[in-house]
Amino acid sequence: MTEVSMTIILLLVLFALLGSGIWVAFSLLAVGMTGMFMFTEAPLGEVLATTVWGASNGWALAALPLFIWMGEILFRSRLSEDMFAGLSPWLSHLPGRLLHVNILGCGIFAAVSGSSAATAATIGKMSIPELARRGYPEKMMIGTLAGSATLGLLIPPSIILIVYGVATEQSIARLFIAGLLPGVLLVSLFIGYVVIWSLMHRDKIPEGEPSLPLKEKLKRSRGLIPVMLLIGGVIGSIYSGIASPTDAAAVGVVLALVLSWYTGTLNKDSFLEGLMGATKTSCMIAFILAGAAFLTVAMGFTGIPKILATWISTMNLSPFALLGALTIFFTVLGCFLDGISVVVLTTSVIMPMVEQAGIDPLWFGIFVVIVVEMSQITPPVGFNLFVIQGLTGMNILRVAYAALPFFLLLMLALVIITLIPEVVTILPQLMGG
Amino acid sequence: MVRGWLNRLYTMSGWLAAAFIAMICLLVVSQVFLNLVDRISTIVTGTAIGLTIPSYADFTGFFLAAASFLALALTLREGGHIRVTLVVGLLPPAIRRVVEVWCVGVAICITLYFTWFTALLVWESYSYNDLSAGMIAVPIWIPQCGMLFGLIVLAIALADEMVTVLAGRIPSYEEKGEGLLEENRVAKENNRSVEA
Repeated sequence: MTEVSMTIILLLVLFALLGSGIWVAFSLLAVGMTGMFMFTEAPLGEVLATTVWGASNGWALAALPLFIWMGEILFRSRLSEDMFAGLSPWLSHLPGRLLHVNILGCGIFAAVSGSSAATAATIGKMSIPELARRGYPEKMMIGTLAGSATLGLLIPPSIILIVYGVATEQSIARLFIAGLLPGVLLVSLFIGYVVIWSLMHRDKIPEGEPSLPLKEKLKRSRGLIPVMLLIGGVIGSIYSGIASPTDAAAVGVVLALVLSWYTGTLNKDSFLEGLMGATKTSCMIAFILAGAAFLTVAMGFTGIPKILATWISTMNLSPFALLGALTIFFTVLGCFLDGISVVVLTTSVIMPMVEQAGIDPLWFGIFVVIVVEMSQITPPVGFNLFVIQGLTGMNILRVAYAALPFFLLLMLALVIITLIPEVVTILPQLMGG
Repeated sequence: MVRGWLNRLYTMSGWLAAAFIAMICLLVVSQVFLNLVDRISTIVTGTAIGLTIPSYADFTGFFLAAASFLALALTLREGGHIRVTLVVGLLPPAIRRVVEVWCVGVAICITLYFTWFTALLVWESYSYNDLSAGMIAVPIWIPQCGMLFGLIVLAIALADEMVTVLAGRIPSYEEKGEGLLEENRVAKENNRSVEA
């Protein structure tokens, strides 16, 4: 049996299992088992149990449920209402006016929640009725929301970066910090686009509200200050090295609880709902990670990733060509799979290939996340599209069309970080260690 | 009556998992607090007291493993595990039922196999008296039991779903947690119960 046919058989098995509706985690386990059973003599069951146990009890992975929990708590607080009231007075003079509330609101909420669907749902619920009432153009309203909500994947603390870090044994703290500047870059690109579009279509943007005195503006933004402090504290403590991501996450949970208690949204029900929500989400992700860990080991036994890596190196591809090919591959994969599954599949099979080509795994993590962000707003399976469709009742293709400029901006960001990798790497380098 | 027992089993196992998550938070926060006290004491007196919760990183990991596995069954029943429903969702109900039997069947086979070898792993750790490496040496079979128990409950939950699907009813994981389109979901369920 040649290696190529081995790879093709396993890929077909994977797609058959996933396509027939078998849960992602089970599909990963099944492909790993098939590969080991068919192509190796290794003791399958023992390897399975040992690998999964080893992959499930790590200290770094503990940041996952904690950050999810922090998001769940804040999701149940008054944050989204405060966001609109607090941001809108500052933005009504920028061309595009309140459209920027979507972008910045998503940026801030992304930092606390780490999930792009939750970001779209929370901010959209608040901003869409307000913007529609004021007569903002529908296409821009939906597009800014769909595009900016994907920031949730990149801006730290990001769930998907924890997944990538655990799966590839990269430092999660460094990944978080690496995501910071690209996140800022994306927000700037989005804002820039809205400004230019608004200058070109002056007649479509409704009149702004009369300007408020500074004191009044500050008063309205008061609700945002604790959240900003919370985010700043979490990111700052990780960056300065005072706290590991797990430490920062645990403190974040406690502060979020204090915050929601202070604003009167914390009660027994909301506490338990938040905790249970976090338990289930983190269980789902941990199970997929366990499946991926086993798949990685099983693939290691079959030797496929090494063969692929050698094969790629004999082709003498430039890293650019490889990245281009991978981008297309991920975008297609992301049309059918959710982001976390895309990431773990990548890390099981593609990592050796990437390292062989001399690509920095830290940088590659950010690259993959941006590609996954793009896939969140491409039909037929783009989670953000579903969420916005649910919010607005608009046809999914129309939502996707509205999001198209933002898809292109994400692509532009990919080009920028490829040409200037320092955008990603400079902060982690400054961090030292 | 059996229904009630089973539901209680899943729910209890799920809340146990949630309790472990809460304990992780408590443990880590306590350690952070002790670090803080240490830092302050270093500044004030020049020496750190050296306060640490022994093996707290190990315990965090063990709690996490317990939480992840104990929540498996409840997460399954509430539709929390991700799957690709793009193709399955388009199938007519009769064929869809066959596909669901296939899905649950594959999942049961994997879970049983996995459970069996986890039981062996636990037994091995027990009989060789394997200890964790930290300051407090915990017999490793104790935390591994959380994983084993979670897998057993998952196997039961899957068998439960299999009975439901074979009886022609809609499995409990379906149309939950996927998509937020309330009206569509209700319409779909109505259609299916009419056709069934």
